[in-house]
Amino acid sequence: MDCKTIHQDLIFYLDNELPNESRIIVQKHLDECIECREFLALLKSEMQIISEEKNPEVSPFFFTRLSARLEEKLEYQPQNQWIRFVQPAFFSLILAIGIYGGLKVGSNASDSTTNQPVTRNIQMMNDFEAEPIESFLLEKL
Amino acid sequence: MDEIQLIKGVQQGDRKSFQLLVEKYQQMVVNTCLGMVHNKADAEDLAQDVFLEVFRTAENFRGDAKLSTWMYRIATNRSLNFIRNTKRKGFFQSFEEAFTGGRNRNNEITNNSSDQPDKNITDQQRSTLLHQAIDKLPEKQRVAFTLNKYEELSYQQIAEIMEISLASVEFLIHRAKKNLQKKLYECYKKKCI
Repeated sequence: MDCKTIHQDLIFYLDNELPNESRIIVQKHLDECIECREFLALLKSEMQIISEEKNPEVSPFFFTRLSARLEEKLEYQPQNQWIRFVQPAFFSLILAIGIYGGLKVGSNASDSTTNQPVTRNIQMMNDFEAEPIESFLLEKL
Repeated sequence: MDEIQLIKGVQQGDRKSFQLLVEKYQQMVVNTCLGMVHNKADAEDLAQDVFLEVFRTAENFRGDAKLSTWMYRIATNRSLNFIRNTKRKGFFQSFEEAFTGGRNRNNEITNNSSDQPDKNITDQQRSTLLHQAIDKLPEKQRVAFTLNKYEELSYQQIAEIMEISLASVEFLIHRAKKNLQKKLYECYKKKCI
């Protein structure tokens, strides 16, 4: 068996998960191959890290800190519940007032334009009557 | 106090029951979170979040599964959320660094006061290598591997926690080990440690 094939099985060999036949083949290869033995040693040392770091000692103040956080949450919660109902109702009311106000202003504006007759004539200024272009050009010259 | 009485007490808001529950399961929850996030301080913070959620949602616990199964589920979900949030923050940080050209070295704390500095560096490198390899696993493989290796749970227990079949758990752990081995072999070839 070549090293590439053996490498695929080494982690299972380490965990005793290989069938008996495969285990014997891997063992035989390891007896002869330094590179595979070295890689197995690396795998073993890496997996060993898990054993070393798991189950750390929990801080003796764990429950004290947890209790403090729990108290904070419980104090905040009743206010939070009040806000959760009142806040949306308040903003909905503001929105309704805004829409009503906008409609009211709009309807007043349309009423004033339709009822009021146009009484004022806007005098358009006729520059040509005030100053003919010929006199303007003659002055320039 | 057995599990049923404990959870009933917590459902009624009894602090004594909650304290007993925390004392009974804190090691388990912290260890599970540690396996996922590889940092003890973060693991303890996450464990606290888990217990707060247990207190808040205790009334939802119907007793269909064991209390520990339920707590493992909350712990792994919380840990996964934490990992996703950290990755997102990391992405924006590296984006910022690309523009500012700087690198935040505040997080790079070295504390090597041992008489054998070389040995500690090697241990640290080994640890970092393993954590990076585990971090690269897909989420489900990571959860299954962590529960198997850190909590030494059986495949059946993992199947109940993850709500998948036994065959799926076997497949996930098999793939996780293969992927880990591949990452470690790449490092071995490059002689990184």
